[in-house]
This record gives sequence, C-alpha cells and structure tokens, in this order.
Amino acid sequence: MARIACILVPDLPVAAACRVDPDLVRRPLVLVEATGPHARVVAAGRAARARGVQPGRHTVAQARALAADLVVRARDAAAERSAARALAEVAASLASRVETAADGAVYLDVDGATHLVASERALATALVARATRVGLEARVGVAAGMTVARLAAEHGDGTEVVPAGVEQGFLAPLPLACLGPPPEIASTLQRWGVHRLGDLARLPAAEVATRLGPAGAALVRAARGIDERPLAPEPLPAAVEEALALEYALDNLEPLLFVLRGLVERALARLGLAGIGCARIDLVLGLDDHGRDARTLSLGAPTRDVKAILGCLRTDLEAHPPCAAVVHVALTAVPDAVRAVQLGLFVPPGPAPERLATTLARLAALCGPARVGAPAVVDSHRPGVACSVPFTPSPAATPERPPADGVCRLVVRALRPPRPVEVFSERGAPVFVRGDGLGGRVVGAAGPWRIVAEWWSEDGIARDYYDLELTDGGVYRCYQERGGWYLDGVYD
Amino acid sequence: MSAAAALLDQLGRPGDVRLGTAQPEPIRRLATGLSGLDRTLGGGLPRGRVVELAGQRSTGRTGLACAVAAHATQAGETIAWIDVDDALEPAAVGAAGVVLARLLWVRPRGAPDALRAADILLGAGGFGLVVLDAGDGGGRCSTAIWSRLARAAERSGTVLLVAASRRQAGTFAAVGLEMAGRRARWSGGPERLAVLDGLDTRIVVARNRIGRPGQSLVLRQACA
Repeated sequence: MARIACILVPDLPVAAACRVDPDLVRRPLVLVEATGPHARVVAAGRAARARGVQPGRHTVAQARALAADLVVRARDAAAERSAARALAEVAASLASRVETAADGAVYLDVDGATHLVASERALATALVARATRVGLEARVGVAAGMTVARLAAEHGDGTEVVPAGVEQGFLAPLPLACLGPPPEIASTLQRWGVHRLGDLARLPAAEVATRLGPAGAALVRAARGIDERPLAPEPLPAAVEEALALEYALDNLEPLLFVLRGLVERALARLGLAGIGCARIDLVLGLDDHGRDARTLSLGAPTRDVKAILGCLRTDLEAHPPCAAVVHVALTAVPDAVRAVQLGLFVPPGPAPERLATTLARLAALCGPARVGAPAVVDSHRPGVACSVPFTPSPAATPERPPADGVCRLVVRALRPPRPVEVFSERGAPVFVRGDGLGGRVVGAAGPWRIVAEWWSEDGIARDYYDLELTDGGVYRCYQERGGWYLDGVYD
Repeated sequence: MSAAAALLDQLGRPGDVRLGTAQPEPIRRLATGLSGLDRTLGGGLPRGRVVELAGQRSTGRTGLACAVAAHATQAGETIAWIDVDDALEPAAVGAAGVVLARLLWVRPRGAPDALRAADILLGAGGFGLVVLDAGDGGGRCSTAIWSRLARAAERSGTVLLVAASRRQAGTFAAVGLEMAGRRARWSGGPERLAVLDGLDTRIVVARNRIGRPGQSLVLRQACA
C-alpha cells in the first residue's frame, strides 16, 4: 500500500511574509490586497488573530481598533511563490515523487523512504526540521492516501502518522467542516444530524449522490479516506528563485544589499537541501521608472558561501549601478554540484575553489569578464596576438618539468594597439626614431625580418620587423608596413 | 624529590616560561630559480611580504618577473599577474617557462583598478605570487593603500611583487630591487645579419628589511 506524506504551512501568505521579515512573527500582522483603511484583511498572523482580527471579515480600520500596533502589509505573490517552491524542495530532498497543490500544500510519496530515515515519524520530524531551515513552520501528516495525510497534517500534532488500516478511526471524530463542504451541502448535512466525518462515512454513497449530487458523493469518499485521484508527481525546476516586492523604492546600494542578503541566504538554504551549490546568479531588478535591470553573475565554481556571493553582487552593482530606484527584486540561483578537490601531497595548495570562484567573479566585475583568465597562445603568425581562457587551475597536478636554474629569458612587452612612429633612415637602415613618449638615435639595430601572414584574407599582414636600440635607453620591436612605421613591443 | 616532581622538572612546570626567549618564526621563501639572486636574498623572495622591482624601460624588469613566475608555476604554485598596460605576450611568457594554466592574467583598466585587483587576489589566499605589473606609468599612490596590501600579503602568505619604473611602496616593501646599468648584447656585424642576443642588467638590492641591503649582481637575460 502506498504511503503519502503531506507537508503544509498553515496560512501560507502570512508565513511567506514572516519568512521575508522574521521580525513580523511576534507582531500583529495583517495582509491586504488593496490600500486604505477600508481594505479588507485577507490574512492575519497569530498575534493579530489572538487580538480578535478575523480575515475576510474585518477591514484595516476595524483591525486597527482591535490592535493599535497592527502591522499592515500588502500581500506579496512573489514571496508566496518562493515559499511554496521552498516547501516543494523540502519534500524533494527526501522523496522523488512530489506534487504541489494549488494552495501550497505538498504531497510526497514516502513509500520506501525508510531507507533514508528510521521511521515515518522520524521522516515527518525531518521534514519539519528542513522546512525550518528554509524559514517555514510546517506541519506534516503521513497516511495511506492524500486526503488522510492532509487531514493528519492539519489536525494532528504537527508530525502525525496514521498507520495503515486505522484511517477510519483517525477520521471519525473530526468535524465535518474540515473537509470544507459547500455551504448548502453543509447545512443539509447539519439538518440530517451529520456532524462528524464518522457519521458521514457511514452513509451509503449512492444515496448521498442521489440527494446531494457528485459533490456529496465526493465528501463521503473523502470521509472514508478514499482519494479522488492518485498522486500526480511533477518535476521541480533546477533553478531556485527568491523574489520580493519592496514596500518603497530603494535608491541606495546598502539597503538593497541588505535585502539581497536575505534573498541569497534563503536561496542557498534551499540549494543546501540537495547538497548542491550555486554556479550562477540571475538578478532581475524591477525599477521605479517601470524599467527592468537584468544581470547575470557567473561564479567560477559552485558555492554556498553567502558572503562570497554578496561580495560578487556588491562589486557588480557598484561597477554597474541600476539606472533608477529599485522596487522589486527577483534572484535566481542556478545550481551545480559543489566541486570536490583532491589536494596533492607534493604541490602547494592553490586557492580554495569557492574562494577562487568569488575572486574571479569580483575581478570580472571590476575589469570585465574578457580581461580575467589564463593567457593562451593563439595559433597565428601575427606577432602580439593574445587571448585568455577561463582560469581553472588543477592543484593536484604535478610540476610539468623540473625547474630550470639560472635561465632568464628576455621577454617582449606588447604595445596594444601598435604605436605609429617616425623613422628616419639612411641607405635603407633606420638611424633615428621619434614617437609618443620615446625617441632617439639608433645605437643598435637588427633586421629586417619579413613576416607575411594571412595573405589569403583582407586583413593579412606583410611586415618588415626590426629590433632597435635607441639612445633613450629602450630596445624596441618596430615594423614597417605599407609605408608606415609602427612600434609594437618593448624588450624588457 | 618525589617522582611526580622529577617528572615536572623534566617536562616543565605549568607557567614556567621565561618571557622574551621565544624564537621568531623563520621567514618562508619563494625561490626565484636564479641561484645568484636566491643567494643574495637569502633563499628567495620572502613570502607574505611586498617585494619591489624597479627599473626603467628595457632593463629586464619583466624578464626577471617572468623568471620568478616560471619557477613558481613549475613548482606547482598558482600565481596571478596584474597587467596594467595589457602588455603581456602569452607566447613570450610561455617561452620564458611560465606554466600558463597556473597563471591568472588580470588586465585592469588603470592603476586604481590594479590596486583593487591586488587587494582582491591577496584576500583570496592560495596564490603563491601576485605580480603587480604597473608598467611604465606608475604614479604614486597613498601609503594607506600599501599598508593595506602589505597586511593582506602577510595574512595570505603571498609574495606581492610590484614591478614598476620606480619604487612605489616605500617603507611597506620588505625588499626593494633596482635594475640599472642595462647593456644590450648584439651579435653579427657589418658583414653579417645583426641579432639581438639579450640584455645584461645589474640588480641592486636597494632595500632589505630581512637581510643585508646594498648587494648587487649581474643578471644575464637571453632572447628566447
């Protein structure tokens, strides 16, 4: 027989708001979908309910009369979506077949999950603990079907397990209202004297269907613990998104980073459930001028270091600040497996992969991604051509060759782009050079060496190269091409 | 005397430590691979310190920095090269013996960004050598920056090699090398094709806080 667990967060809109701002937990919080004192309260926190505030019945003004220190917040659909996804990821961390209901409750097939945890009770406890890690206070029920599991989560002790075969006994004392019957059916059942699920389960389903229609028959099946349909698992997207609508526009970097810290912490906690790290951050900022600022931050190696990612975000935002104040933030963490590094016994340890990832991202934000990497030799006859490739050192590698002793090579410093110079010649040999920042009589010369390359293309080169030592102290690499003289390197 | 007291005398009593007798930790060195220079510096460049390499154009400053980088990468170190002038030629650096896969090449858009890049790299840790190649410009910057970089280098145990046309870090540099007396070597002559063979440069240890300053040696650099 299948075993299903249901994990749900009572009053998800309030829980999502408290997840974004944990200070709200102890304060009388109400959520509204409109503005002004006549806006209807759509959800209320525990403290507000304790003062008598009733969602759907009271307006903000009425609620404020009951609780003078009432905190009123707009309902945030983005934060609710993030919370619901986080709950689904909690379930997915312990089961492969997961279904998310429309109201945010999550069902998971826990049949055979006892190889991960000792018992179903321990499984429920683990789910509650993992939900706490992502900032949600969840309740869990485990039973043979989705309906019973849900009712166990709602009406149990928080980690309720209904053993197989005793579902009817668990359901019988529950009030009829816990199935949420339509008002007209509920009043009919009241007239019949049916107050509890046990009373309803004893009625013949066909007779109830004749009198109350298909909805009545469905209620009877639910009261007997029979599901209308089996679990319909759906794959979860790999990327983790955390979003937040701000109450007011942020026009300064520090408060924006404060907001981003919360988003990053929550996103990484979710990735941590699966033991993976973040390889890329996609940040979308909704701007006050109705514009949108989208940016991607690639990390050199997957990481779950909040400080590191915040450092990268800070560098990127400092280098390229948004063009208007920010009113909405959506952060997507694209995951990848955290790299394990095997250090070598006889080679120095290089930078730690996570630190290196952060460092590369910060350097890329500072200098530009194309200006940070490992140098690579280009397969070209054109002197001075350079490119860089992604920097991925292998710390465990052994030295390629034994260190040479006492050999010091003279290298050329390239001038990019080549600098035009004036060269005076006598009998075909350069005798004086004049240019920007240099100039002097030639005291040593070698050349010319002809370099012809890429003659098949339009930008092919045909150059006569010279090495020239001038009286200004420099030894230069010059070339003559199409009647002009250029300096493209300095020996140093 | 009891056996316990004898044992305490042998092992040392708690708190029985004479202050002022602790030996300073020996300074770890990054060998340059050039035996003459290593001998002069007492084993190589001191790790966790700022080392300056000052020299005018064509004095072999970049060649010497490449030689140090080559020896470090061949020994398995991961190093970084901050190239303010975007002047590095990968082919030339590779020919000098640098293992390119272990070299992080950073090309900032000016001296202020170069100093920030150095700060980031030193803060990351794990790099055996960070070369700050300031090029021929090299305007002076505040001592606070050098103080910060020196502290960062000390924390990470990285050698910060500052190559510039003149010395920059002042008192924050542990070792200051000056390259002077450059002479180009040419071969060939009027009847034969002339070839640049290399450079001979005199290196003077102008500053050495952890050794004897004032020594000098001649460095021969050969064209690849």
